[in-house]
Amino acid sequence: MRRGFNPSLLPPHPSQGNPMSIEIKNINKRFGDFTALDNLNLDIASGELLALLGPSGCGKTTLLRIIAGLETPDQGQILFHGEDATDTHVRERQVGFVFQHYALFRHMTVFENVAFGLRVRPKKTRPTEAVIKKKVHDLLGLVQLDWLADRYPAQLSGGQRQRIALARALAVEPRVLLLDEPFGALDTKVRKELRRWLRRLHDEMHITSVFVTHDQEEALEVADRVVVMNKGKIEQIGTPEQVYDTPETPFVYQFLGDVNLFHSRVHEGWAEIGGARIEAPNSPNETTATVYVRPHEIDLSRDASDSAIAGVITHIRLLGATVRLEVEVAGHEAVEVELTRERYQDGAWRVGDPVWLNPREARVYTAG
Amino acid sequence: MAFKQHSVLPGFNLALGYTLLYLSIIVLLPLSALVFKSSHLDLAGFWHAVAEPRVVASYKLTFVASALAASINLVAGLLIAWVLVRYPFPGKRFIDALVDLPFALPTAVAGIALATIYAPNGWIGQYFEPFGIKIAFTPIGVVIALTFITLPFVVRTVQPVLQELEKELEEAAASLGATRLQVFQRVILPTLLPALLTGFALAFARAIGEYGSVIFIAGNMPYVSEITPLMIISKLEQYDYLGATAIAVVMLGVSFLLLFVINGLQWWSAKRLGRRR
Amino acid sequence: MAGASNNVHRSIVTTESRSVRWLLTGLALLFIALFLVVPLASVFYEALRKGFGLYFQALVEPDALSAVKLTLIAALISVPLNLVFGVAAAWAIAKFEFRGKSVLITLIDLPFSVSPVVAGLIYVLMVGAQGWWGPWLIEHDIKIIFAIPGIVLATVFVTFPFVARELIPLMEAQGSEEEQAAMTLGASGWQTFWRVTLPNIKWGLLYGVILANARAMGEFGAVSVVSGHIRGETNTIPLHVEILYNEYNFVGAFACASLLALLALVTLALKSFVEWRAEKQAEAARRDATE
Repeated sequence: MRRGFNPSLLPPHPSQGNPMSIEIKNINKRFGDFTALDNLNLDIASGELLALLGPSGCGKTTLLRIIAGLETPDQGQILFHGEDATDTHVRERQVGFVFQHYALFRHMTVFENVAFGLRVRPKKTRPTEAVIKKKVHDLLGLVQLDWLADRYPAQLSGGQRQRIALARALAVEPRVLLLDEPFGALDTKVRKELRRWLRRLHDEMHITSVFVTHDQEEALEVADRVVVMNKGKIEQIGTPEQVYDTPETPFVYQFLGDVNLFHSRVHEGWAEIGGARIEAPNSPNETTATVYVRPHEIDLSRDASDSAIAGVITHIRLLGATVRLEVEVAGHEAVEVELTRERYQDGAWRVGDPVWLNPREARVYTAG
Repeated sequence: MAFKQHSVLPGFNLALGYTLLYLSIIVLLPLSALVFKSSHLDLAGFWHAVAEPRVVASYKLTFVASALAASINLVAGLLIAWVLVRYPFPGKRFIDALVDLPFALPTAVAGIALATIYAPNGWIGQYFEPFGIKIAFTPIGVVIALTFITLPFVVRTVQPVLQELEKELEEAAASLGATRLQVFQRVILPTLLPALLTGFALAFARAIGEYGSVIFIAGNMPYVSEITPLMIISKLEQYDYLGATAIAVVMLGVSFLLLFVINGLQWWSAKRLGRRR
Repeated sequence: MAGASNNVHRSIVTTESRSVRWLLTGLALLFIALFLVVPLASVFYEALRKGFGLYFQALVEPDALSAVKLTLIAALISVPLNLVFGVAAAWAIAKFEFRGKSVLITLIDLPFSVSPVVAGLIYVLMVGAQGWWGPWLIEHDIKIIFAIPGIVLATVFVTFPFVARELIPLMEAQGSEEEQAAMTLGASGWQTFWRVTLPNIKWGLLYGVILANARAMGEFGAVSVVSGHIRGETNTIPLHVEILYNEYNFVGAFACASLLALLALVTLALKSFVEWRAEKQAEAARRDATE
């Protein structure tokens, strides 16, 4: 069993109180015909935990690798705390990189893996064997795997490998910690445990950290700020609340959670969908618009109403704490509605019931 | 435990029966003839045949030349595999196919070609002649021929491992501060080690038994450039079947030992590479 | 077969400086040129140095023709025999679980680790005049050693493992799901083999056959021991080459050798082609599996 996280096990870390901000300026990167990063700008504040979130192929991993120095940008600059690091080799950049599949050295024990970064230092700055030993054991203590020091990577579970990879990256006292899909290769339960653990670890160490993920739940739960990326560009930057509650683009809205889409027109500040009127004060008059409504932001009613969307329940699926209803609406594809268990039971909904849908929240995006 | 686990597929008895029958006729029965023949030898006669000074000189040459050839190919094979896997250059596919030439070219052809090239007036031999270095008809020629014949082994054992080597391992090492040379020494080389040793052992085993490519270039001078397989032939030519048998038993023993070592290396290799991911 | 995929994208971090790359590539190519290209080129150069006339004369000489004939006979018998064996062995080993399997695999590989000279010798000791069954064979007037049957037997021995060792890992990797599917659809054992298994292994099978054929036609040591070197009767091409060379008939020796060198080149070309096809087949299978 793993013990709880104990901050007193932390080794003193030089990056504490040693702020390290990262500025990314006008970065372009192409692979052949494929544009991975398209004139991208991003400031990362010192000590924050930032998530790069997006679908596969959006350029998030390329950006992470460029920050690390594993790739070189075609154009643009990377500044580490105001200093140009664009041409600094990954060796000298002092970044800790945790790979998606951990990239542990198979022929080395856990101890030797963690000690690697210390052993390859030039003679002048290489710590003594005693110091290395102490440091490695401190780090293994930090990731709560001291008892595995003599094992080989092949003998570890996925979650254990993950934490060893992290300990190995921390051993070189990095100024920045970069993690590529850190929980991607783990099963759901381990993943949830580890991401809370990582959050707590970051709260103690305050080392500027960037991680890449395609899992919105992961980004929203762990990060201080989330950068949503698509097709080599940044769609939105903000706190988890900001990007979830006020998505700036249709892409962000759709990527963060399920959504129902309605096609409509804006008429004098209102967009109408099957009777329901949605306020769209800033949209130009008489433009086509798309209205986004999240399934859990729809109220159901049995009372006929001119200001609601009429439909018929066609499917009901019980998903643990919530219930999903599929409602057929004339002239529209099926609308998904999510209710809590209680509200579902209170309403006593059945397949075939006629219902009227009332969006509590909605967002209108006009074309162009 | 039953001899065979249940399966819905048919044909097991036929396939295995035929396999065992054919294996017995072609391989096991003739090999047992060697054992049968050697039972005619008493210990003293056996010792006399295998420890004769001229034969002992041939063991030395065979072992040393084979070890040298395998060592040369350990380095050259790693280099060739590295270049083939990692660096782009025109005609790469052709070069890759050409590496197998020693497997495809009959040994006698290789033998006369090498003997001609390395002769004092040959394409390559002529450049060594002025320095008083003779290659053909000396032990150096034996090493050359064995190097040719065993060239593909290390390349072909190392190549797939190098191909599969995740580049993340190298990137991880670099991000931890290792120089390119340190990455090679501490990460790449240890990963390749089992494959390198397996290739070395395969090359050595092949070299020990090689005959056709060597005899033309060796000059076959008693005590100087006679290899062990040639000793078997010369015993046979003198109708000394028991002597030939005794030497063959020694060679077979060495072959089995090497087979054992190679199996061990492959087991180690599989274990060391571990489960991927 | 090598390279392409691994080379798609290597960043500055995981490769060497341009000068190191050039140096290493140059060294590797120099070694290959010196050890592989020069000997190969010399065979054709020596064969043709006295002109095409003498070259062709050496090839159509009766002893040369009879050597070609014997070489073809030996290959035509040994390759199909080992082909059938290879398929049977791979079927038993790859599709079934039974005790002693790893011992069987080791035994099948055995001929590769035996010196060709010892391979020839064991047949002399079994069926030669002085051998185990010698007296009985003489009594019945059956001649094996220093005759064509001996040459065929030695050739079968040295080419014994080629097809089997190509097919065993291939069929193990493919598993037997497809065969089981065919059986559930009502196919008989033979139908399953011909329609499902064989199409899946055809490239591996061809690969093994190509290698076995090259070895069968080029074998020297083992055949040399059992042949008796009777000109025009028990000489294969490699043995004929040896005799001509020892008689200082270099043009003749290299002319015959050039036939074998051509065979080697064809073998390499076919081998590359088959590898390329097998690679494509494997890639397609991988694509299917991930979709």
